[in-house]
Amino acid sequence: MNILGKHRILERHATLLLVVSFLVVTVGGAVEILPLFYLENTIEKVKGMRPYSPLELTGRDVYVREGCYVCHSQMIRPLRDEVERYGHYSLAAESMYDHPFQWGSKRTGPDLARVGGRYSDEWHVVHMVDPQSVVPESIMPKYGFLANNVIDGRYIEDRLRTERRVGVPYTDEMVANARADFLAQADPDADYDDLLARYPKAQTRNFDGQTEVTEMDAIIAYMQMLGTLVDFSTFVPNPER
Amino acid sequence: MKPRQVIPESGDDIATGPDTTGHEWDGIKEYNNPMPRWWLWTMYATIVWGIAYAIAYPSWPLITKATPGLLDYTARGALEEDIRRFNASNAPLDEALVRMELDQVQSDTNLYAYALRGGAAVFRNHCSQCHGSGAAGATGYPNLLDDDWLWGGSEDAIRYTVAHGIRNENDSDARFSQMPAYGEFLETEEIDNLVEYVLSLSGQDHRIEMAVAGSELFAEQCSACHGDAGLGNQEEGAPNLTDAIWLFGGGRDEIRHSIYYSRYGVMPNWNERLTESQIRQVSLYVHQLGGGE
Amino acid sequence: MNASSVNQPPLYAARTPIFPRRVSGKFRSLKWWLLFILLGIYYVVPWIRWDRGDALPDQAVLVDMAHRRFYFFMIEIWPHEFYFVGGLLIMAGLGLFLFTSVLGRVWCGYACPQTIWTDLFIAVERWIEGDRNNRVKLWNSPMTFRKLRLRMTKWTVWLLISVGTGGAWILYFADAPTLIQDFVTLSAHPVAYVTVGILTATTFVFGGFMREQVCTYMCPWPRIQAAMMDENSLTVAYREWRGEPRGKHRRARTDDSLGDCIDCYACVNVCPVGIDIRDGLQMECIGCALCIDACDDVMERIGKPRGLIDYMTLVDEKLKTESTNFHDLIKRLLRPRVILYACAWSLMGLGLLAALFLRPDIEFSISPVRNPLFVELSDGSIRNSYEIRIKNRHGSDTKFSIGMEADAPLSVRLEGSDELSTFVDADQTALRRVYVTAPAGSAAATGGKINIRLRVEDASNAASAQKTTTFHGKGQ
Repeated sequence: MNILGKHRILERHATLLLVVSFLVVTVGGAVEILPLFYLENTIEKVKGMRPYSPLELTGRDVYVREGCYVCHSQMIRPLRDEVERYGHYSLAAESMYDHPFQWGSKRTGPDLARVGGRYSDEWHVVHMVDPQSVVPESIMPKYGFLANNVIDGRYIEDRLRTERRVGVPYTDEMVANARADFLAQADPDADYDDLLARYPKAQTRNFDGQTEVTEMDAIIAYMQMLGTLVDFSTFVPNPER
Repeated sequence: MKPRQVIPESGDDIATGPDTTGHEWDGIKEYNNPMPRWWLWTMYATIVWGIAYAIAYPSWPLITKATPGLLDYTARGALEEDIRRFNASNAPLDEALVRMELDQVQSDTNLYAYALRGGAAVFRNHCSQCHGSGAAGATGYPNLLDDDWLWGGSEDAIRYTVAHGIRNENDSDARFSQMPAYGEFLETEEIDNLVEYVLSLSGQDHRIEMAVAGSELFAEQCSACHGDAGLGNQEEGAPNLTDAIWLFGGGRDEIRHSIYYSRYGVMPNWNERLTESQIRQVSLYVHQLGGGE
Repeated sequence: MNASSVNQPPLYAARTPIFPRRVSGKFRSLKWWLLFILLGIYYVVPWIRWDRGDALPDQAVLVDMAHRRFYFFMIEIWPHEFYFVGGLLIMAGLGLFLFTSVLGRVWCGYACPQTIWTDLFIAVERWIEGDRNNRVKLWNSPMTFRKLRLRMTKWTVWLLISVGTGGAWILYFADAPTLIQDFVTLSAHPVAYVTVGILTATTFVFGGFMREQVCTYMCPWPRIQAAMMDENSLTVAYREWRGEPRGKHRRARTDDSLGDCIDCYACVNVCPVGIDIRDGLQMECIGCALCIDACDDVMERIGKPRGLIDYMTLVDEKLKTESTNFHDLIKRLLRPRVILYACAWSLMGLGLLAALFLRPDIEFSISPVRNPLFVELSDGSIRNSYEIRIKNRHGSDTKFSIGMEADAPLSVRLEGSDELSTFVDADQTALRRVYVTAPAGSAAATGGKINIRLRVEDASNAASAQKTTTFHGKGQ
C-alpha cells in the first residue's frame, strides 16, 4: 500500500485527522518555541532591571486598560534608523517583568520604549489633556479624564502579589510597603529613601501638579521610567545575540 | 495537437474536462484538473532555498545556542555594520568640521545641516539625560534654550564646556569654580540679610532694611565673582543674579539654601567619549537652540 | 506512485507545447499596430526631454527615487502627494473594469505586456523556425546540428529582446542618456544591473517558455474576470447554431444536414493559448480574436458568410437565434454597471485633476516645539518656538518671508537671522525655527494658551499662506 493509500485513512476519519493535525502542530510549535526558553543567546541578563514600583505598575495598568498598545509599540528594533530615532534597541530583558509585554505590533503613534525622560511632566499633562495642542498632526484621543480619577492604591498589595504569582520577584518587604511606596512616589514631600532602595532609579515627584494622586500621576510615572532602567553608557552588547 | 474531448459523458463538465479523480463522497465527484508540473518544481525550489537559507543563516537550535550559519549573521552585527558604513561615508564631513572655525560653519550650508542633525542625535543620546531631550534642563541642570549662560554661550565656549566639562575630576582642563558654603562662617542673620539683597537684585519682593544691610556684605563677600552689580562673571561660572533665571530656584528659601550650603553642578568631560566632530556638532546644535551668543 | 494505483489520476501535467499558426486579418493587423505603438511608447518615452530649469532633471517622465520626486511632463509630484499615483492606480483599476464590462477581455487580448511580448517572441520563432508545421516537425525531430543552430539563434534573439526590455525599464528611474552611458561602461549602480538582470530573465522565460501558463496559472485577472462576466459581456465565441453539426464539406455540393463549420481546425491552430473556441467560453481564452481572423478567412474561401467565430454577447446571440432582432448597442452601453464604472472612473479623474490644479502654490507646516512648551528668558519674557517647514516648488532658490499676527503684543524672530526672511533651495523643503516672544509680565506671558497666526509669503510671486497655532504662557 502506497503512502497516498494510507493517507486515505486519515482523510476519511474526521476525529483521527483532528488528533493527528493537532500532533503535527504541537511538534512544530515545540520545535519553534521551546528552544527560546533555554538557548543562551536568546536569554540575556542585564544590570538595572527591577520590578515596577507600585505607582509605575498602576500606570502600566492604565496603559493597558486604555489600549495604548493598539497605537504605540514598545520595541525598538536593531535597525539604524530606529536606533537613531528612538535610542538604543530594546533588549529582551527590558520586558522581563512585563505581564503581558507591551511590544505592540503597530505604530500609529511613535514607539514608547524609551520615552522616559524625553519629555517634561508638564508636557505629558498637556499632551494627555489635549494632544493636538502640542502635536497638531496627532490623531490621539484626549485622556484628560485621567487627571480626575483619584486613586488611593487600595488594592496595590494584592496587585503586587498577583505579579509575584506569575514570577515577578517582588519581595515580602515590597509587598508590605506597597501602599506607602505608592503614595510616596507622587508626593514631593515624602521620604524617598526606602522607596529608592527598593526601586532604584524610580522617579519621585508630583507628576501631574495636583495634590491628589491620580491616574495621571501613575501613567506619567510609568511613561517617565520607560527604557531608563538599563544604563546603556556601560552596557556592552554581546554581538553574538 | 490533440483536440479536446468535447462529448460530455455522464456527469462530466465540458469546460473543465471529463476526468474525475475517482474520489466520490455522498455522490459528489472530484474533477481532476492537474496542476502544471512546473508548479511542482517551484515547490522543490522553495525547499532547496529553505535548506540553503538554514545553512547560511542562524537556524537550528542546539544545546546552548543555535547554529550560527555560514554568513555569521546577527541582527546586532548587521546594525553595527550599518552604523560603521554610515560613519565611513560621513568621514569627509567630519574632517571638514574639525578643520573649520566653529563660527564659520554656518556659511557652509551643507556642513552646517550635517552638524545640526548629528548634534541633535548626540544630544538625545548623551545630553538629554540631564538637560532634557528638549534642552530645557531642570533644577540644577541648566536650561540651554534661554539667553543666560554660566560659562559663556559662544560656539567656542560651548565647545570647551562640552569637551572638558565642569568641576569633574577627570579632566584637568575642566571649567572650575567653587562657591563657599557661607553657612560655615557667616551668622544666620547675615545670611538672611544677603538673601534679601539678592532678592532685591532681581526685583523681587524683599525687606528693604535687611537688603541694605546685606548690600555691604555682598560687596565684601560676593562681588568678586558675581560682580558689583550682581551681573555675574562667565570667567568664573558665576551666575547673573539680576535676571529671571535661577538654576536652583529664585525664591527666598532656595536662595538661602544656595548661600548657606553652596550649590553647583558637575558636568562630565565628553572628550573621552565623543569624537571631536561629535563635540563640535553638539556645540553647534546647542548654540542654535535659541540662546547662543 | 506505483503500479497498484492504476486508477490514480496524474496529479501534475506537463505543459502541452503550442505552435500557433500564422494568421492575417483585421484583428491581426490591429494587434500589430498596437504592438508597435505600445512598444514604441515604452522605448521612446524615457528619451523625451522637458526643460525644468537648471536645478531639476530635464527628463519628461522620470521616477527619481533618490530625490523622491516623480516627474511627468509639466507635473511634479512630491512624496506627500503620492495619492496622485494611488489615484492613477485606482483609475487604472476602474478603467480595467469599465473596458471589461463593455469590451470583455480586451486588455488581455491587445494591451497586456505578457500578450505583446509573447506575440513578439512568437513572431521571432516563426521567422527563424518557420510556421506551425515546420515547428511541430522540428520539435519532434531528434537533436541535430540544424535544430541546435535554430534553437540557439532563436534564444539569442529572444535574449536580445529581453535585455532591451529590462534595459528600457531602468531608464525611467534615472537620466536616460547618462544611465545608458554608465550602464555600458559598467559604472552604473548595482541596482540597475540587478533590475535589468531580473527583467531580462522574466521576459525571456515568460515570453519564450511560459507564455499562456502565465495567463492561466499566474495571473489573477482571468479569475477575477470570470466573476465580472455576465450575459452582456463581449466575448470571442463560436456561433454553435450556425456551425453545428460540423463536418467536411464537399466542394460545390452543399449538404444541408451539416452546419457551416467544416472542422478545419484553423481556429485551434492559430490559438496562442491552445484551446478550441468551439467548446464555449473558457477561462484560458485571452480574447485575442485571432481565431476570428482565421475562421473568417476560411468562410470566405468556402463562400460562407463571415462571423462563424465572432465577438458577441450571449444576449445578442440569444436574440439572434430567436428573432434575428439585434440587441441595441446603445442599450448595452447604458447598462447600470457600465454607467457606474464610467462615473467612478471619471469622478476619480476629475478629483485628481481638481487636486492637481488646486494644489497650493505655497506650502508650509508648523509644529510648535513641545519640549519645553515655553522658555523663560533672562529678562522674564516668555518665548515659544515653532518649527516650520517651507516647501520650495520652484526650480530656483527662492526667498520666503515670515510674519505673525496675534491679539497680543508678541514679537517674532527667525533663528540664526536678523531678518524675517529666508532662502529655500530649489525643489527642497527647509526647516526653520521661529521664535515668538511675549514681554515679561504681559497677559500672554502669564496667561494660558492663545491662538496666533503664522504667515509665509513667497517673495517670487507674492503667494502667501497662513496657519493658526497656539502660544503657551506660563500659566498653562
